[in-house]
Amino acid sequence: MGAIEEVPQAGSHGTFLRLLRYMWPYRGKVLLSLLLLLAATAADVFQPILIKIFIDNNLIPRHFPKQQMVWLGGVYMALVVLTAGLNVMQLLLFQILALDIIQRLRVELFDKVQELALAFFDRTPVGVLVSRITNDTQAILDMFMTVLSTFVQNITLLVGILLAMFSLNARLATYCLLLIPVIIGTMLLYRKITSPIFHLARQRLSLLNAKLNESLQGMSVIQAMRQEHRLRHEFGKINEAYRQVRFRNTQLNALLLRPLMDGIYLLTLMLMLGYFGERSFSQLVNIGVLYAFVTYLSRFFEPVNNMLQRLNFFQQAMVSAERVFQIMDNQELAPQQEGQPAAHTSPQIKAGCITFEDVSFSYEGQTDVLKHISFTAFAGQTVAIVGHTGSGKSSIINLLMRFYPVERGQIKIDGVSLRLFSEQELRRKMGLVLQDPFLFVGDIISNIRLGNSFVSEKQVVEAAQFVQADGFIRNLSGGYHAPIGERGATLSTGQRQLLSFARTMAIHPAILVLDEATASVDTETEEAIQFALQKMRHGRTTLAIAHRLSTIQDADHILVLHHGEIVEQGTHQQLLAQGGLYHKMYLLQQGSNPVAD
Amino acid sequence: MRVFLDLMWFFRKHKKRYLSGIALLMMVSLITLIPPRVVGMVVNELTYHTLTRSRLFYELLAILACAVISYGLRYLWRIMLYGGSIQLASDLRTRLYHHFTHMSPQFYHQQRIGDLMAHSTNDVQAVQETAGDGVLTLVDSITTGSVVIATMAFTINWKLTLISLLPMPLMAFAVFHYGKALHQRFYQAQAAFSDINDRIQEYVSGIRVIRAFGQSAWERKNFVELSRDVVAKNVAVARIDSLFDPTISIIIGFSYFLSIAFGAVFVLHGHLNLGQLTTFTLYLGELIWPMLAFGFLFNIVERGGASYERIQKLLNIAPMVQDRPQASDTVPSGDITYQVREFRYSDSPQAALKNIDLRIKQGHTLGIVGRTGSGKTTLMRLLLREFDVQDGDIAIGGVSIYDLTLSGLRQSLAYAPQDDFLFSASVAENIAFAQPDATLEQIERVAHLASIDGDIETFPEGYQTLVGERGTTLSGGQKQRISIARALLQNAEVLLLDDTLSAVDARTEANILAELRQNRTGRTTLIATHRLRTVEHADWIIVLEEGAIVEQGTHTTLWELGRRYADMYRRQQLEILVEQGGGRV
Repeated sequence: MGAIEEVPQAGSHGTFLRLLRYMWPYRGKVLLSLLLLLAATAADVFQPILIKIFIDNNLIPRHFPKQQMVWLGGVYMALVVLTAGLNVMQLLLFQILALDIIQRLRVELFDKVQELALAFFDRTPVGVLVSRITNDTQAILDMFMTVLSTFVQNITLLVGILLAMFSLNARLATYCLLLIPVIIGTMLLYRKITSPIFHLARQRLSLLNAKLNESLQGMSVIQAMRQEHRLRHEFGKINEAYRQVRFRNTQLNALLLRPLMDGIYLLTLMLMLGYFGERSFSQLVNIGVLYAFVTYLSRFFEPVNNMLQRLNFFQQAMVSAERVFQIMDNQELAPQQEGQPAAHTSPQIKAGCITFEDVSFSYEGQTDVLKHISFTAFAGQTVAIVGHTGSGKSSIINLLMRFYPVERGQIKIDGVSLRLFSEQELRRKMGLVLQDPFLFVGDIISNIRLGNSFVSEKQVVEAAQFVQADGFIRNLSGGYHAPIGERGATLSTGQRQLLSFARTMAIHPAILVLDEATASVDTETEEAIQFALQKMRHGRTTLAIAHRLSTIQDADHILVLHHGEIVEQGTHQQLLAQGGLYHKMYLLQQGSNPVAD
Repeated sequence: MRVFLDLMWFFRKHKKRYLSGIALLMMVSLITLIPPRVVGMVVNELTYHTLTRSRLFYELLAILACAVISYGLRYLWRIMLYGGSIQLASDLRTRLYHHFTHMSPQFYHQQRIGDLMAHSTNDVQAVQETAGDGVLTLVDSITTGSVVIATMAFTINWKLTLISLLPMPLMAFAVFHYGKALHQRFYQAQAAFSDINDRIQEYVSGIRVIRAFGQSAWERKNFVELSRDVVAKNVAVARIDSLFDPTISIIIGFSYFLSIAFGAVFVLHGHLNLGQLTTFTLYLGELIWPMLAFGFLFNIVERGGASYERIQKLLNIAPMVQDRPQASDTVPSGDITYQVREFRYSDSPQAALKNIDLRIKQGHTLGIVGRTGSGKTTLMRLLLREFDVQDGDIAIGGVSIYDLTLSGLRQSLAYAPQDDFLFSASVAENIAFAQPDATLEQIERVAHLASIDGDIETFPEGYQTLVGERGTTLSGGQKQRISIARALLQNAEVLLLDDTLSAVDARTEANILAELRQNRTGRTTLIATHRLRTVEHADWIIVLEEGAIVEQGTHTTLWELGRRYADMYRRQQLEILVEQGGGRV
């Protein structure tokens, strides 16, 4: 957390430029909207000039030729409408542009996330990642949509106003230029003074949110232990600390932003009047010019105030951009096909013979979770892996599925290194059944088919029938179109498992990779599951992390894993003969009391 | 605008602050009128060559005074009004938090934490803006608007004022319609944003399935589609949004045109002088802000109103479980009796427990076994009054737990729940959660009882090691044992262990059970578990199936019975051997 908070200060310059680069593909549109903006601003700035002409040429000399009046009035109204029209176009174009840029940024970020290794997902809490892709990009959107256009528009407006002032009276306009360093100075001062407060406020806010989130998660503990009073008090303290820092922020805003600018405006107005007044004692003063200057001056401060108000948003957007770019720059990529040959020369999985050759593996590069693993699962065989939690069972599957790169040793399928297969080939031919049968929001069909458009509805039903899920599916209201809520909460554990079997069988994999669930389910479903598993294994190479005795007993080869090493292996018969674990199991099956020891 | 009425309770509470803030704001509005007036005077004097140095000096001094005074006043009202809105946000957060602490688990089943957080952050923020910027904009646009208009009418020319205001109803009409359209479209845009949020949440949670089935391209297609939808809905918002300011500026342009044109006529006829006309147009300039604010007000107030409604809705949910009238604050003690004919969770058609008739003698240990979903946890949660039984009663020492206050009842119960939740704090603080003033010795003692002391000593900073979401990652077994230590420190008469030993290995489990037997003589213990060996030594064991007690007795009698319990026991011995096979053989 600390790192994320600190970085933006140092790198915000680079981050800003990097963000601006996203505008490059849209340079045509950017240019167009800038031109529209310029035109609108020019039209806007021109309006008081017309009034000045009217006052000087017509009103004071009391000379009103009809034709000139109509012309002047017509042009004025045309300018008003033109300004508004151009502004509508310009505002809309800018917003659409910003939305397009963010769309591009989001998709790019999503693509990047798709490339990242699973290890990244293991480490990053779901909420954090979701907020990177949506909330942070939204914050950046604010910057493109409002901050950028506000700055561009208001700076244009400022320049336009200054130009108009110069055209009226260069000397006075030059004096007005002095305002700019004063304003920039105030902005810098504001940033300098508020930056630590701003940081503190964010820190306290995240503390507040963390406390709230944690309290919500642990509420049952809090209530069972009667700590509501204490926690309310603790939350109250954090809440109050946040309120105080926000109040301090408000104080500084009130001291340095709008009220100060309004004060500066009045002071300038005073000086300007003094200038005109003083000059009037020595020479003739053009009242039209005085009028125009006073009007411009009042308009001069509106854009300044607008920009000041956006400073906060700007800083927030920079922090968000920094976080987004952190993910974009992540080099922890998921393994990909090596060499990338043309589609027809890419190797294919046919028989499905799996070989591990002296594979060692470590997630973080220090402790090896797998040590010198070698075994072969011949085509059509079932290999069962047993061992306690943390023995490395899941790591074997993670490597075989190419979720993590194999760096030491080799994994081969049909004699070809795992690295050489295309992503598509691997995913089509290897069917993974996960311990946690994750279901998506949708219906039964969409959960079995996923995004595989080559699976027809008929094949979906066949797959469901194959794993004995057809019965319960047809009993649901809506059958195969029955809706499924978040994580499939409406279905039982066993039903969810059967659905995930059907999902795997729908793609007819050559290899089955099974991560059996430990959670116990009711007897009926358990029978269905065992039956389905048997059918699924039939004729397929199967690598299974096994918990069910039926799976283990039926295996052609059993690996016993302990601390990342294979400590015992063999067929069902061989292990029985060894008089070790299998022998004991066999005795237990006969019904002798195991509590004896 | 209704939200201002809804928030009246707060405005009343801070009457002084708001009244003085509004008064100051009005004063500033009045002061703002002076400089244009002074400018008008100077222009007049210049036109008729009546300007003298001393007059000029006083006129400039007047502007300076305005600058200084309005700076001070502007600062003050900001402190008051914005300070008030910050206070409101703080109050709302406190209210929500208090409310959350009163809500029973049922509430947490129905709400999602993300959503509750959103109420406490985004919605509170929106209400804060309404109470700050909203109040300011309302007061400011009304006072500035009416004061400026009144001044224009009374001090310069009421006819010209009326003429210049002719286009205003048009603006009101336009802004009102834009506001309505914006509200709808903004709502849809927010919904689209919500959709994409949900999608990513699901994507990240299901990443393994997506990777295993090679669904990346499909997911990308979905994502791009949803994200396009977000863009489309937001473009719809932008179409309205970009109409606001230009429309108002057209109206203002018309006003200027009318006032200059008719003003010129008035000047010609001598109803007005040039200085007055200049002042008049400057005043018109002062109206720009209140007019823009008018549009802004619509936007902000509608959002704040919607958010406040959401917060209110949450606050109006009454707690399901609370102290009954005349509940006694005594701490119960004695035998525990369950007489529950039926209990069902409100969102489920099936009974979670039925026909539970059970007496647990003071000082005894009860083992509760059965499959997931058989009702083990429910049995404990009913005793804790996380849920209330409608059909039946539970009593401790002959006193119904419903005649006791929650606080009194829970003082005699120590609960180590299934989902062992640890807080982001040190190990010591977590263990001492129920008794923050416990000494380190007490903490170490219960850590020893729960067999976690050895582990803690290997932690980088011992008992001061930070755990929880942001701290050191602990194994499931370590978390469970800390949660047991936490419960033990409560020193309550009844200890409830809800499958809290499932991730602890056999030997440690045996240690803990032995320590418990030694240290909790005369006190009652309830242990729910999947693993039968955990409750082998219990005084009484009940087997739950689908919410009903199907077998009960001691380990020996149940084993001899040779039915469900014996079956499960045999099967589990096998599984244990399979699990540990590698290590032992």
